[in-house]
This record gives sequence, C-alpha cells and structure tokens, in this order.
Amino acid sequence: MGSKLANKKRKADVSDSESENELADGAFDGVLSASEDDLDFELDDDESDEESEKGTDGDSEGEQDDDALLSDDIPSDVDNEDEIGKVLKQTEELEIAEPGVDPKPKDEDDEDRNYRIETDANGNERYVYDEIDPVYDSDDSDAQGPANTIGDIPLSFYDSYPHIGYDINGKKIMRPATGDALQNLLDSIELPKGWTGLTDVNTGNPLNLTQEELELVQRVQMGLIPNELHDPYPDTVEYFTSIEEKMPLSSAPEPKRRFLPSKNEAKQIMKLVRAIREGRILPYKPPEERAREDEEEEQVHFDLWQNEEPQQPNPMHIPAPKLPPPGYDLSYNPPPEYLPTKEEREEWEKTDPEEREKEYLPQKFDALRKVPAYGTLVKERFERCMDLYLAPRVRKNRLNIDPNSLLPKLPSPSELKPFPTVTQTVFRGHEGRVRSVAVDPTGSTIASGGDDGTVRVWDLLTGRQVWSVKLSSDEPVYTVRWRPNKDSFILSAAAGEDIFLMVPTCANVAPALDQASRDILAAGFGYATNGQVHNGVPAGKVPPAKWARPGTKLEDEGVLVRITVRSTVKVISWHRRGDHFTTVSPSGQRSSVAIHTLSKHLTQIPFRKLSGLAQFAAFHPLRPLFFVATQRTIRVYDLQKLELVKVLQPGSKWLSSFDIHPGGDNLIAGSYDKRLLWHDLDLSTRPYKTMRFHSEAIRTVKYHKGGFPLFADASDDGTVQIFHGKVPSDQLENPTIVPVKVLKGHKVVSKLGVLDLDWHPREPWCVSAGADGTVRLWM
Amino acid sequence: MPQIKKKGKAGAAKNYITRTQAVKKLQLSLPDFRKLCIWKGIYPREPRDKRKVTKSLKASTTFYYTKDIQYLLHEPLLAKFREQKVLEKKISKALGRGDVSDAARFESRANDPEKTGKPRYTLDHVVRERYPTFVDALRDLDDCLSMLFLFASLPSTSAVPAKMIARCERLCLEFQHYLIVSHSLRKSFLSIKGIYYQANIQGEDILWLVPYKFNQRIVGDIDFRIMGTFVEFYMTMLGFINYRLFTSVGLKYPPKFDQLKDEQGAELGAFALEGVNIATDSSATKAITNGESDRIDPGTQAAVDKIVKQLKENEITDEEPAKTEASEDAEEAEQDTDAIDKFEPVAAGGDILPQPSYSSSDPAKLFSNFTVFLSRETPRQPLEFILRAFGCKRIGWDAVLGEGAFTHDESDPSITHQIVDRPVIQAAMEVDGDGEDNQTAHKVGINGRYPGRIYVQPQWVWDSVNDEELKSPEMYAPGASLPPHLSPFVKSTQGAYDPTLPLEAQETEAEALDALIEDADKGSDEENGMDIASDEDDEDEEKDGFGGFSEGEEEQDDGEEEEGSEDEEASAVLQRQIELEAEISGKQVKSKQVDPKLKAKLEQRKQLEKKAREEAEDLERAKGMLSKKKRKLFEQMQYTNKKKSTEDLKLREKRRKLEKEKNKA
Repeated sequence: MGSKLANKKRKADVSDSESENELADGAFDGVLSASEDDLDFELDDDESDEESEKGTDGDSEGEQDDDALLSDDIPSDVDNEDEIGKVLKQTEELEIAEPGVDPKPKDEDDEDRNYRIETDANGNERYVYDEIDPVYDSDDSDAQGPANTIGDIPLSFYDSYPHIGYDINGKKIMRPATGDALQNLLDSIELPKGWTGLTDVNTGNPLNLTQEELELVQRVQMGLIPNELHDPYPDTVEYFTSIEEKMPLSSAPEPKRRFLPSKNEAKQIMKLVRAIREGRILPYKPPEERAREDEEEEQVHFDLWQNEEPQQPNPMHIPAPKLPPPGYDLSYNPPPEYLPTKEEREEWEKTDPEEREKEYLPQKFDALRKVPAYGTLVKERFERCMDLYLAPRVRKNRLNIDPNSLLPKLPSPSELKPFPTVTQTVFRGHEGRVRSVAVDPTGSTIASGGDDGTVRVWDLLTGRQVWSVKLSSDEPVYTVRWRPNKDSFILSAAAGEDIFLMVPTCANVAPALDQASRDILAAGFGYATNGQVHNGVPAGKVPPAKWARPGTKLEDEGVLVRITVRSTVKVISWHRRGDHFTTVSPSGQRSSVAIHTLSKHLTQIPFRKLSGLAQFAAFHPLRPLFFVATQRTIRVYDLQKLELVKVLQPGSKWLSSFDIHPGGDNLIAGSYDKRLLWHDLDLSTRPYKTMRFHSEAIRTVKYHKGGFPLFADASDDGTVQIFHGKVPSDQLENPTIVPVKVLKGHKVVSKLGVLDLDWHPREPWCVSAGADGTVRLWM
Repeated sequence: MPQIKKKGKAGAAKNYITRTQAVKKLQLSLPDFRKLCIWKGIYPREPRDKRKVTKSLKASTTFYYTKDIQYLLHEPLLAKFREQKVLEKKISKALGRGDVSDAARFESRANDPEKTGKPRYTLDHVVRERYPTFVDALRDLDDCLSMLFLFASLPSTSAVPAKMIARCERLCLEFQHYLIVSHSLRKSFLSIKGIYYQANIQGEDILWLVPYKFNQRIVGDIDFRIMGTFVEFYMTMLGFINYRLFTSVGLKYPPKFDQLKDEQGAELGAFALEGVNIATDSSATKAITNGESDRIDPGTQAAVDKIVKQLKENEITDEEPAKTEASEDAEEAEQDTDAIDKFEPVAAGGDILPQPSYSSSDPAKLFSNFTVFLSRETPRQPLEFILRAFGCKRIGWDAVLGEGAFTHDESDPSITHQIVDRPVIQAAMEVDGDGEDNQTAHKVGINGRYPGRIYVQPQWVWDSVNDEELKSPEMYAPGASLPPHLSPFVKSTQGAYDPTLPLEAQETEAEALDALIEDADKGSDEENGMDIASDEDDEDEEKDGFGGFSEGEEEQDDGEEEEGSEDEEASAVLQRQIELEAEISGKQVKSKQVDPKLKAKLEQRKQLEKKAREEAEDLERAKGMLSKKKRKLFEQMQYTNKKKSTEDLKLREKRRKLEKEKNKA
C-alpha cells in the first residue's frame, strides 16, 4: 500500500513536469508496476487528484499526507479477529502522540537541584538523580512496572526455567503461577472485570483491562474521540470585547463646539427669520395646498419634434399591425343580407367564444337611439394592449400572388392535337403474346413478332396479314425492327440466339425495291468470302457471331441471312444509315452488346467488360454516339474517340428501355419500377422530370420521329400513355411535357399488358403489341 | 486550423434573450419591466428556430432581442424605478417601526399617479425616441386615440383614477378641436361597437373608435394596470401631438379651459382657442363660434345689420345672415389664396399634367350654410363634433344636452335642419298640433314640427359626410325606414361582394341561370295550381329512375361529347314515357315539360356545368405537373380564396332571396 501511495505521488509529480529531480532520484520500478495496480488507481483517482493539487507545496506536506493515510490504512491490514490487539496498539500510539508535560527545565538547577553528588568507588564524583516519578501523562514508557528486559526473544526459550526473564535490576522475574484446568474453567465461567482471555506476552499474566481502558475501547468503537476530556468545541477566546469601557482612553478636554451654540448657524437662522418677517418666505404651507398647487402645475408642452431628423427605420423593427377597418357587417344598420340567419345565429352561440370566427354578430337597429353600448369593448381594447406588448412580432411574407400564376403555362388543348385517341385497327393472328411490333419506314406496313415464333407483316390500314414466316418452333421472336432506310425493305428479327434479316415478299412492294434489298443483304457474303472478315479475329478464337444463309426453306420465304450469336437476343436497334445495327442480349455475359455491320457481315463486341447487365442499346440519331443502358445507368460512348462521354443516372432500379429524341438532346427512359424519366442531356445526369403515372412496369418508350412532339410509353398495366413533349428550339427553355391521353384497349394477360409500341413515321398514329395476342393501331 | 466555434456564443443563441434573463439583467421587478417595455415599445420576437436559442425550452417562453434589452439598460427611467423601489422600502420600514409621521412624509414624496393623476417622471424623451419624426407619431396614433377616447368614457375606479379620466377627456376634446379647425376629418361610421372616425392629418390616415356615451361594462379579467401604463404613455404622446397640431394651425396650446362651462356639460364649448400671435389675427379668440360673436362684438354689429337689411330687401330668408361675418370672410379669402390654381391648356398640343383636384364638396363647406338643431334624444357629442368638422357653425340643442349650444330654443327661426330620432306619433299629432298652434306664437306644424326646416334622422349626417354630398333628406325623414348604413372603409375588390351594386352585376352566370330556372319552376307551379300537386310524387319517382339510368349510361361511355346527345335522348325518352302515362291516366300533358324557354335555360346550364367540369379537369391536369411542394402552396392559396368566395356566394344568395320576397310583397 505504501509503495502504491508513493507511486501515486510520483505520478502526480510527473504530471507537474516542473520537478525533474524527483523523476531522477525516484526509482521507476514502481512506475513499471503501476500498470499492475491500474485498477486500484482507478479507484483512488480522486485521492491522487487531491494530491496533485497540493503537489507543488512541497514534500513535507506530502509526507504528512502520507502518514495520515498510512495510519488510516492500518485497520485494513489487521485481521478482524484481533481487533483488541489493534486497539491496544492504537492506544500506545496515542500515548506516544500525546504532547506530554515537559520535564522540568534544567536551568532551574541553581535553586534546587534534583541530583545528589556522591563519590563512587573510584572516588570520582557521581551525580545521583532522584527517582523520576512518572505520572500517567509522562512519556517515559520505561517506568511501567516490572518490565522484562530479555529483549526481543521468544519466551519459549525460558520454557525450561522457573523464571521468564530479568527485571531492570537483574532480578529474576518468576513465572506466574498458572492455575490448573479447573481454575481455568472457573475463570472462564465467572469472568473478572476486564477479562480478555489473552496473556500478556511479557509477563505471562492474563491480560486484563482496567475500567479506564475499557471505556476507551468503547469510545473508540463508537467512533468518538478516545480522550474523554478532549473538548472539540472550546469556547472562543475574546480578544476584543464589545463592552464599552468606563474610562476614556484619551484625556483630551471636550471641544467647545460640543457645547457652545454655533455662530454660523445662528447667522443662517437669523437670515431665515428676517426673510420670514419680511414675508419673503412663507414659513408653512399646509400639505393640501401644496398638493393642489402641484396639480395645477400643468404638464409643460413644447414642440417635441422641433428639429426632427428622419431616421432610417431599423430593419429589425416591426411596427405593430393596425387593426382592420370595420366592414359592412359591423354597421348598426347593415344591408339585410349581412344579418345572420337563425341557424347561423344558433351556431355562433353554440361555438366557444374563443373559436368564433367573428367576435360579434351583425345586428340591425332601426334607429340610432336604440343602439346599446358594446359589451366587450373594454375587453377588446385590453386584448389589443396585450397584443401590442406581449405578442411576438414576426414578419411573414404573405404570398399575394394569383395562385394560377404558379401553374405551368400549358399549351391549349387545341395546340396539343393531334394525338392518337382511339383504336383504328386490331391485328389478330398471333398465337400467344405479341412481343414486338415495328412500322416500316414508308409507313404502309407493320411487322410483328410473337411467342409463336412467327414474324408477320400486316397492311397498316386494312389490318390484313400480307406475309408471315415461322422463324423458330420453340423460341419466341423477341424483337422485329425495320432497316430505317427507304431505299430498302429489310426486316430484322431475333428469335433465340439467331438474328434473321429478311425481305418480306408482299404485293405492295415494288420489284425494284425488293431487288435492291436483296442486293444489300447479298453484298456482305461476297465481302465475307474474300476472307477479310477474319482480319481482326485470331485464328484460334471463335468469332462472336456466325453469318450464314438460313437454308433454302427459309430463303424461299424471303429470309436471307441468319446471324447466330452466343446468347438470346432481346433488342435490335439500327443505326440511322442502315449499315450497322446493335443487338443486346442481357444474358450474354461480356458479349451482351454486339454491333453488326451489314455490308461486311461483321460482328464486333465493343465492351470487354460492362458494369451491370446491359438492357438496351441505341445509336444517337445525329452524332456518332452510342448509348447503352444497364440496369441503373445509361452510358454514352463516343464511337469516334472510343471513350465514355457521360453516365446518366435516371435513379430507377431497373431500366427497361430508352429512346432518344430525334433532336438528339433529350432522352426518355422507362423502367420496370414504374417510372418514366425525361433526361435533358445538356442539363444534368439526373432526370429533368420523373413521371409516375403507371401502376405497373413500363416496357417500352418511344418518341415520335416524324415531326410531332409526342412520345408514348407502354406498360404492363395494359395502357399506353401519350404525352405531349415539346422540345423548344431555344436552348434556354425547358421542354414542356403534358400528359394527354391514356389509351386503354389491351387486356392484361398473366400480368403482362402492352409489350411494345411504335410510332408511324409520318402520322400521329401509333401501334402497340399486347400480351393478349393483338396488335392495335391507334389514331 | 480555424478557430473552433463554441456553442451558444454566436447567432440565435446570442441574439435572443428570454424574459427571465432580461428581467434579471435589468434588475427590475416584472411589473416594472412590463412598464418599461410598453413605454419603450419593446416587444417579444419569435426566433426562427427556438431550439437553437435555449436549451430549456417551454412553449410559453418569450424571447426578446438582446440588443433591445441592452438598449433598455441606458434608460433614465430605470433609475426612477429603482428610486421608487427604495422609497417604498423606506415607507414600509417606517411603518414597521410604527413611525407613522415618517411614513407619511415619505409617502408625500412618493410618486403616486393614482392620486395626482400624473407621475413624477416624464415620458417625453421616450416619445421622441420612439417617434423620431412627427409623421411617425401620427402613423401610430390609431391605438392612442382609441384608447384615450375609451378611457375618457370609463367610470372612475381605484384602478382608473378620476384625474386620469379627466385628462384623457381634455386631450381628446383638444384633438377634436384641431380636427374641427383644420377640417381634416374625412369619414365616419356608425357601428355596433361605437363610432369610427377617420381623419387625414399630413397625409396620414388615422382611424379610431369612440364608444357610445354609455357606461362601459367591464367583463372578464382586465388588468387596468397594464392599460393604465399604455394610457400614461398615450397621454404624453397626444399632449405633444396636440401642441404641434395646434401650433401648426396658428393656435395657442393649451387652449383656455373654462372649468365652469365644463361642469355644465359644454364639452367642446368649454375650450376657447387663441391665436398664437394676436397682432396678426384680428379676432383674438377664434373660439368655438356659435355665431355668438356677432351678438357680442359691437364693431361688426353694424355691418351685420346692414347686410341683414339688404337680405331682407332681397327677400332671401333662407340664407343665413351670420355667414358674412367679417372674420369668416377673411378666412375664406385665405383659403382662396392657399388653393392650387387650375392650369388650363391654352393651346392644343401640350401634355396634360395631372393636378390634385378638390372634390366637388369641400369638407369645410358641407354643412356650412346650415343651422342645425339637435333634438333631445340624439347623441349630442358625436353630432356636434362631426357637424362642426364639416363646416357647420351654428348648432343648437335642447338644454338637457348641456351647455354651449348656439341656442336652446327649438323654435329659433334661423334653424334650417333639425335632427330627430324619435318615432312619429300618428294619433296624437293632429290634436296636439292644433292645441300647440293656439298657444305658441310660432307656427308649429303637425307632430310638433316647425315649418320651413328639414327634419332628418342622424344617419343623414353620416351618410352625407361619407358620400361627400348632401343626401336627399326624404330618405332619412323621421319614421322612414333608413337605407342601410355602409362602411366607408371597405375598398371594393374585384370579384368580392359589394352591397352597393345591383345583384345582376356581380353574380356569376351559373348563379343567374339557377335563379332564373328556379323562378321559372315556381312560376309554372303557380300557373298550374293545385293540379300538379297530386302528380308530383309520380314525377319525382320517374325523375329518380331516369337519373339512375343516365348515370349508368355515363359510366359505360366516357366519351364526353356524346353525353349531351345522350341526355337529350334520355329526356326524349322521358317525355315520351310521361306522355304515355298521361294517356293511360287520361290527363293532359303538362305544359311544364314543353316550355321551350325553360328547356333552353336548362340546356344552357348543362353547358355551363360541362364547361366548369372541363375547366376543373384542366386544372387538375395542370396541378399534376406541379411539384409536390408547389402543389401544396397552390392549394393553400386556393383555400383562402375559396373561403372568401363561398362567403360572397352566401351573401348573394341571401340577397336574392330577400329581393324575391320584396318583389312578392
């Protein structure tokens, strides 16, 4: 414990940082071990803090503290069993600590010396001192009875002797007679006063306590001051007394001014007397008169604003609002329509006075003399006063604008027209869902592909099927797209892993056009056989796609080219020139996006690695940009520089498709989480508008490409929604988007509604393909 | 490294202070703090975010600007408050010792506004501080006047000492005198709360409320100490404002006050106005003239006599001779030179500069030619004030109403107008009239009326004042039912209901149509008489059935264009059905169904409804394009508008009903 305390102290000193010496001479072993005592330190933190506060005062004080602590700590060291022994020890210490009576000073020896002079055996003088009579208070501990002088050796050494040691005079101290067992028993039965059951170590006698000692022990046990006589609260000694002394301290004579009348005062009094005599001063004015005078004294008025200078009003000052002026209904004779009806009166009377909208009821009096006093006028005034000084004033900006000005400027309905409103034609024929539909570039026919693996071509206006081919028996046709040039009549369709390019043979297609289309498709074969195709592809590697003829049966029907890629193709989209097209197969890992070149029969995979699953891809309508939609983002790549230009963040969880505005600066995207997102490509990577008008996933979005400011989306809730979306020619203006029409007609079959839609290239018509097996033309 | 900002050392936490903190800072008691706040015009503020200001926040915590409180620290009044506190302590100590004489001595020194009616301190510096310019003070005069006029009519209690009331009354009367002299009263309105007045002083519109002369009821818990504090300040303020106003029109302030006259109830007449500079003004006492000066002043007597003689020669008895009093002539001349000259373009081609034009009737001249007599039952004080403010010089009243009248004699021949507010007694008048005729020298007409004067009800005065022209007295004749008294303070806004306009001018098309159809329905009902009553039940049933049918149709088809034709078709079907039924029962087909006018109206209404529906749809569509935040704002704005318009709608409906009833009767 002691070492611990020392440690603490050292620690405190270390923190003081001024005393380097202590650091130098103090051993560090404690510091090292300090870590072991950490727990104890934590417990004793407050102590050490106290010490550190005192720290700089000096070592002596610190030591005293330590001593005090040590003595305090003793009880914890001693076992509980020998409490009495502990008490004894304490009493001894107390005796030592007691400031003893001083021994008689030695310099008194000339009066009466306390020694005798004798001659010893050698004849020398020998001082023989009187026996000192040790009183109780004496600090002479030796004088206690016959003390054993054997020192600090165990008494067992004397076990074989009849004595137990020697006293100061060299005489044997005989062993006290010990009683026999019976005696002991008797002793234990009738205990003498002060019996402890212990044996005095030095004398071998049973250790008995005296009455005083017992009382002392009792007091200590009770936590009182051991010394009965000690008075902790002594009376104060008054050094200065409050009692007035009878006799003066100074013997100076009393000054004259104390007993002679003042001449100066007499003079002044005479002055007043004279003034009163002459009537200059009225000696006494009764208080009533004075009060009246006070009253009559008017308040002095003057021009308070004589040199007024206008100040800038404090911007923080809010003047109290004025009360509103009275209206018609407050008149004593209001127009009759302002008077409350019976019901209104009853309702007013029923409502709580604090909840009433008006605190008065309009009343009519047919003559002015009948108008009574207004009952709550004083109260109203009082409330106004309370408002003036107690109501917190806040400047509130009241919106004093016409609410209609907030509404966006919408084009008038006549401006919005035309847009498709009704079903014109229903094309039936597909078995199962119709997955895809496309209007050809001339706008006379449409092509559709469905779950039954067929591609059908219909006459747009009559709804007659003009051509059909079964591409696959087990795979659905996911997508059909026309080559976007008018100089050809080429249809592309994807079924499973195969992409087919075909020239439908219809009656309304001119033979020249048919031939031109066949030539375009055939040109690639010549290129491929020249062997230039494989330039880029190492011999060992499998080419990303295989261009081939589909076989005679299909070729007779007009299907001329089959391209086989590695995984199921879901999306085809053409470049505007018609030489390239891209396919997306979301399940294909790294080859999910492929760009095909028609003239070279070449297939390339632009991305080695794509973050996320590719959902859709398209070429920019004007510039050499390539858009790829993954589940969450739309990435824009520059095809010339071969770099990423922009990443759009539509903020939806799973994009389904997107379409680029023919102007090239805007883009709409649809998502499976029911959102339709309009992106302004110049503005931000975040959507300009998010539209949530569908209750189910959005499958397809399409802009009208033929000059009408329309766009549409197809959703699984069985509806097609038509929007008016005008992109202003002025760059600074924002596009106007107005929802115009919901086209309902398709039925929802097993949670799928409208799967695809396409706009007519010139007219405001659109075609939609539904899961119910129909294709509908809306106009 | 930037300095770390500590919390609570800047911003809102430092700018605002709670009331408890403020009181502690100023070392004041709460009532003293309240007084100081009221006088200095310091009011609580609302922090934008209360939580940033204080940690221990209650709903009732009031906050002040720390700067405001800081500024109060330098207020000299603070020292006065402390002195007062010390004095109070001394008194209580003396009383505790049983030293009554000492206590009394201290008390005599104490500032005891309850007893003396005025405090030991002055508030003029506070007035100057709060209103750095005179116009600022005028701007804040509304509450001041309303409060003082109210206190002037309160009964005196321990909380409201009589001295205070008397002072309020005097200040108010002085202010009224100024308004009379300067003719700056503009409008007045008799409301159920009291009489509202509006004056225009130096371009500032001041509106205040004067209660009717009745004992005010004091209901609820009203702390008169708070009101007294306000009044104390307002009295000082109005005193100085009055001084400035009086001096601005060349009058001495305070005007001479005749205690005796006041005790006799002269009110306005108890004051005698004096010019500041006697040398410039020939008539030293402008006074409240009742035309008495011509009787007193011997100098002008001769001139007046001469004019009177002239007038007699001209046989013009209606004209008032006192009008041509010398002093008034001078006044008019003054006014003429003061006025702006009218600039007329001499040659064509120049721009026309707008000039402030005097309204057709100058407020100073509205009643200037009249001698008015107030009957016993009319409220004298407001009438006297308003008549004088609009130029009337000679007002007489019954002796019961107090001192200061031009004449107490009702039969005075110079009286042109008499204001009465008593019902006409039909039966008694003929008998009594004859009896009186015999007794009195004057000719007393029927119902105790004197011929040759106009009898009107008090509202005539107010309506004439508000319309700035004399209303025709027939409408306001005694016993006549008065036209509604309209508030002149309401500014008509576009679309709001205005009772002065005819109903047709403000109702919407749909409402008008509804009303017409209703009328037609009723008319046809009346025509057909009781016949229909028996059949009405059947009709209703049929109608119900038809309604259900048409609804069903609508549900099936959402093409709106077809709806109209559908309805027509349906009505045709109905018509046919009714005809068939009539045939079976052997009755004639009712004329009601074939009324072409009504049908057209119905058609029109249907069209209107359709239009309204379309508009609503458009609105809904447009609202759909707004962001959520803006949509909320929009709806909020529409809420108040709608509330107002429904109120207006209700008023119009009521009026239509009333008009219809009137037409019937």
